[in-house]
Amino acid sequence: MTRSLFKPLALEAAFVLLGMTWLVTPLPVRAQEDIRCLTCHGKPGFEKTLPSGKKLELFVDPMRLRLSVHKDRKCVDCHADVTEVPHPEIPQKVNCGRCHFLGNSVGAPQLQRYIEYGTSVHGKALAEGNPKAPVCQDCHGDHFILPGSDARSQVNHKSIPQTCGGCHLEIYAQYQESVHGQALIKGVKDAPVCTNCHGEHNILKPQDKTSTVNPGTVVNTCSKCHSKVVIMEKYGVKAEQVATYRESFHGIANEFGMLKAANCASCHTAHQIFPEQDPRSTVNSRNIPLTCGKCHPGANANFAQGRIHLNPKDKSAGIVYWVALGFKVLTLSTLAGLLIHIALDLYRRFKNRKQPGEKKEVEVAEKSQ
Amino acid sequence: MSEEKRTSIEESLWAQKDTAETAARLSRSISDSVRRELPKGLPEPQFKRLKKELLASLEKEMALESRRVIRLFLDEEEAQQKHLEKRRKRKVLFEESVERISVNQRAQHMILLTCTVLLIITGLPIKFHEAPAAEFIIHLLGGPNITRILHRIGAIGLTLVGVYHLWYCMAFEEGRRNFGLLLPSPRDLKNFLQQMGYYLGLKKDRPLFDRFSYIEKFDYWAVYWGMVVMITSGYILWFMETAINQFGKVAYDIAREAHSDEGLLATLAIIIWHFYNVHFNPKKFPGSLTWWHGRIPIEEFREEHPLEYERWLEAQKQEETELEQEPDGIRGDPLGSGGEENPEGGKSS
Repeated sequence: MTRSLFKPLALEAAFVLLGMTWLVTPLPVRAQEDIRCLTCHGKPGFEKTLPSGKKLELFVDPMRLRLSVHKDRKCVDCHADVTEVPHPEIPQKVNCGRCHFLGNSVGAPQLQRYIEYGTSVHGKALAEGNPKAPVCQDCHGDHFILPGSDARSQVNHKSIPQTCGGCHLEIYAQYQESVHGQALIKGVKDAPVCTNCHGEHNILKPQDKTSTVNPGTVVNTCSKCHSKVVIMEKYGVKAEQVATYRESFHGIANEFGMLKAANCASCHTAHQIFPEQDPRSTVNSRNIPLTCGKCHPGANANFAQGRIHLNPKDKSAGIVYWVALGFKVLTLSTLAGLLIHIALDLYRRFKNRKQPGEKKEVEVAEKSQ
Repeated sequence: MSEEKRTSIEESLWAQKDTAETAARLSRSISDSVRRELPKGLPEPQFKRLKKELLASLEKEMALESRRVIRLFLDEEEAQQKHLEKRRKRKVLFEESVERISVNQRAQHMILLTCTVLLIITGLPIKFHEAPAAEFIIHLLGGPNITRILHRIGAIGLTLVGVYHLWYCMAFEEGRRNFGLLLPSPRDLKNFLQQMGYYLGLKKDRPLFDRFSYIEKFDYWAVYWGMVVMITSGYILWFMETAINQFGKVAYDIAREAHSDEGLLATLAIIIWHFYNVHFNPKKFPGSLTWWHGRIPIEEFREEHPLEYERWLEAQKQEETELEQEPDGIRGDPLGSGGEENPEGGKSS
């Protein structure tokens, strides 16, 4: 109860009050244990120089830890291999799986998506022994873990690109310039970040068929937002782009599993998405011959004339709209005429059957003889 | 079929005279076998046993064998009957029908039909790609890559038959004559109005059609229009890079729309109009076979194409008189056999 009061306060003030809170904590043993750790680790600037010459910061801000989701945990709950002070060996990296497993007794959340990490591209890299493979702490932080909904969290929507960008530098730079990245910087809540397209714990290689960014699935991923009129009209983007793509030969081929056909990212790219008017855009009319030319060798400026996402049912499609309308009228009128003719023919036949006085055959026969 | 006199075993003489004769022959052949196998004879008890076994086995074998022979006989009889029936029908077909569609025309129709079916089954699933059946058909045929190739094979076939047809209409006497008869004329309008009047009971008589009624002319020119639209737009789509580079993207967009829409229109016209006229129409159901053998029953000929029929009859009469005038004129087949082997006559019917 008391601790929640600190949240809105400045960090310094909280730090002073923390000591007081500590004194009234009714768990003297736990406090004592943590106080033992904080004797050294609570000092700002506490660090160690590794044999490699790299300095390892060992200061732990106790305030931040107490604000995190792990506020009730002791240091040694996670750093279980620490039994002596000073530590005879460098303590191991914390294994979150100690608590976060299905059916744990301490009530640590454990959902299917944590297990998905094991089959993800990151989890597989870890299993293969890649030292750079990210583990839980790399994305979620160490002592200051907060729920994703918390604005200060490393995995909060607006912080995700930065978190992923910690390793994926080049793509982070591309993304930040793109229309999605710029929107996020401007504080647009709908702006997609890395995880909206790639997933969170189940991130897979694009080559993987079940990946959300596989050529076979990426259309569905983009259309999660781009087919929604409610979202799209806010930003002046047409939601029918998804439908027109699905009606195009590219979309139909993609639907039937012909993955060499262009999908959204083939033309708009994955991370360097810009509005059509932007000269950096791959779908800018100046760049279209090059973009189409990737698959249609020899494409010239004519490819940029008119719209790619054409809706023949819309008047803005120009002549194509009239062609479509013309065929509609032609088809309906032709079929109506033919069906009426058939109906009349059947009507006459059944009527003749009822009155079998078929004169005309006799007459014809007479004439011909 | 007809109530023939049927003979049952009781009525036959089998039970009396035949049995006695067969039994005598049988006992003779058994004694022959015994004599041949056992020239020295056997002691009495063994001989008795052999005799018993021999009789038991014979009895069993004979029952089975006679049943087998009867069945075999019946099967053969049935096959013979079927064969005769088929021959009779064929004879009727040849005697009571006229070859109205030439081999060349039938071949063109066959290729057109095959290509069109191929194009429809590989094309419509693209237009109606959301339908579950579309995906089923595409994957049944081996995926989009295969159907793409199949569609283009169909396209080549259609183009070739189209080009051949143009040549046929110009270079062949038959083609020129038929094409002339297919050209729309004021008479078609008159016939159409007459037909409508007849349908509605305003006119007593049906119009008298020549070789091609306005219905058939419509069919023909619908295919003409369809071929022009589908082939032109199809090749724009096939060679879309060149088409866009040359004529602009709008050419491709129009071709895409036209190909899709005309494809559906053509399919519906075939299924509704053409199928009604040649299959589902109560008079033709379940379908005329003219497309296969080119022949039309004389009765139907006279009724549906009276003007052509009259001309044909005229020609027949003239031919006959010419033949009679020849001194030792061998009477030719008045129907003019269409290259098919002559049905054997005389034996049946």
